Amino acid sequence: MKTSIIGLGQTEFSKNSGRSELRLAMEAILAALADAGLEVNDIDGLVRYTWDNTSEAAVVNALGLPSLKYYGETEFGGVNCCGAVAQASAAIEAGLASCVVFYRALNARSGVRLGRGERILTEQNGHWVSNEGEPPGDIYSAPFGLLVPGQHHALYAMAYKERYGLTSDQFTDMLGGVAVTQRTYANNNPRALLQDKTLTLDDYRAGRIITEPLRVYDYCLETDGAMAMVIVSRERARAMNAKAVDVLAAGQYIFPGSVPMYLYAKRAWSLAPEEAGEVLFGKAGLSPKDIDVAQIYDATSMMVPIALEDFGFIGRGEAHDFLTSGGNGPTGALPVNTHGGLLSEGYFHGLNTIAEAVRQLRGESPNQVAAETAFITLRGASSMILGRA
Amino acid sequence: MTVIRPADRYLDQPYWQHLAKGTLHLNCCNDCGGAHHPPSPICPTCRSFNTGWKPASGKATLASYAIARHSVHPSLGDKVPYIITLVDLEEGVRLVSGIPEGMEVDLHVGMALECKVVQFDDRFALPYFVPVGA
Ligand SMILES: [Zn+2]
Repeated sequence: MKTSIIGLGQTEFSKNSGRSELRLAMEAILAALADAGLEVNDIDGLVRYTWDNTSEAAVVNALGLPSLKYYGETEFGGVNCCGAVAQASAAIEAGLASCVVFYRALNARSGVRLGRGERILTEQNGHWVSNEGEPPGDIYSAPFGLLVPGQHHALYAMAYKERYGLTSDQFTDMLGGVAVTQRTYANNNPRALLQDKTLTLDDYRAGRIITEPLRVYDYCLETDGAMAMVIVSRERARAMNAKAVDVLAAGQYIFPGSVPMYLYAKRAWSLAPEEAGEVLFGKAGLSPKDIDVAQIYDATSMMVPIALEDFGFIGRGEAHDFLTSGGNGPTGALPVNTHGGLLSEGYFHGLNTIAEAVRQLRGESPNQVAAETAFITLRGASSMILGRA
Repeated sequence: MTVIRPADRYLDQPYWQHLAKGTLHLNCCNDCGGAHHPPSPICPTCRSFNTGWKPASGKATLASYAIARHSVHPSLGDKVPYIITLVDLEEGVRLVSGIPEGMEVDLHVGMALECKVVQFDDRFALPYFVPVGA
């Protein structure tokens, strides 16, 4: 790709924003433009998730944007965090737009909560029913009590645990290595919802089981807020002398059963096809050993070991040893989720995952490591490599 | 016993009608013979629209499972803990399933399972998979 991310903007993360999603979106977009050194009227493209409640038209009307030449939507929510950047980049490279804003606003804690089944069930004749039939909806899985992503992830987790023959203690320590390390990062991060709460491995082990084998500290934090980022051509970023981070490669990947989650691809212990990493690294002309820091979308902690193996940062079945020996920590071979991740900074549908990669490459992370390149992924479904400009 | 179910209009579809009569049928291709799930108007193997239904053998292996201990919906409050399973059928399709309420089982990935259709009323039944001989 020949584009750069030149601006980041966000509201505070909270449990109750006290304002509308439209208002939050406006605050984040204005902050991102200010960070980029651009004016509101410079925006000529928008990308968003189909799950976002704030439409492109709402943004145009609210901001009085004179001319929106391109808008694109990527399906679902965080699954496409890197896909949205790929789409913005493609639009810029095709000449459809020159300055694209990717935004997300949600009251995910004070509003409709993704972690609860209310979202998909309604009452009919005294029964709770699932209404999602076509395209293959969850009418085939909801009756078994499989309702929310946190339960889907438990099925991935158990498939992994049994495939590699981990004992319950080994499995607990592996995911504890994710949750505790990330909490320590969050303790340094003023943006993190859990900045003030420490977490030890003993605390983690004592955590209550939500859906076995996952416990409470394996889950992300439903969060209110908004984020936005500004994407322009690399050429324009250089001409502006912007605080740019270059998009070296970005892409999307769906294969049979991989999306939606309740369909389940053949290998439940892996979330990306073998070639996904090769394709992505090939586009960037890099290999996993060239990556300095990784931001892995961690709706649950289980996403971290699977992504590390799927993209070849470590070998299959090596996650336990890597994560229990601090491989993901500040002095490890590959620092991971240095903002605290969705587990401890807040669940922002991947925009905060991308933002932390951008901050690392700008030298602005609260847990700065020496980084020239950063890797980002969500279940292999959308992935990206960024480089210091 | 109350259970989450598909909205009423779906219960007239063949998948649910067959279950209500006591058997799990799979959507299959009349040209290449392959089965697929969820039901679809086109065969994902040979892309034929000539699809139909055939009874499943009921033989499956356990691909994964999880034990829900925290209720994520008011209707599940008195059901936790309950077991959710991911099963691979002999026909090559994968289903989300579970263990019937109250059944004690010892599960491990790869174990052999068999289908047990549980009837909730004359229009609605679900395909559970239980350890062979349980
Ligand atoms: Zn066929």
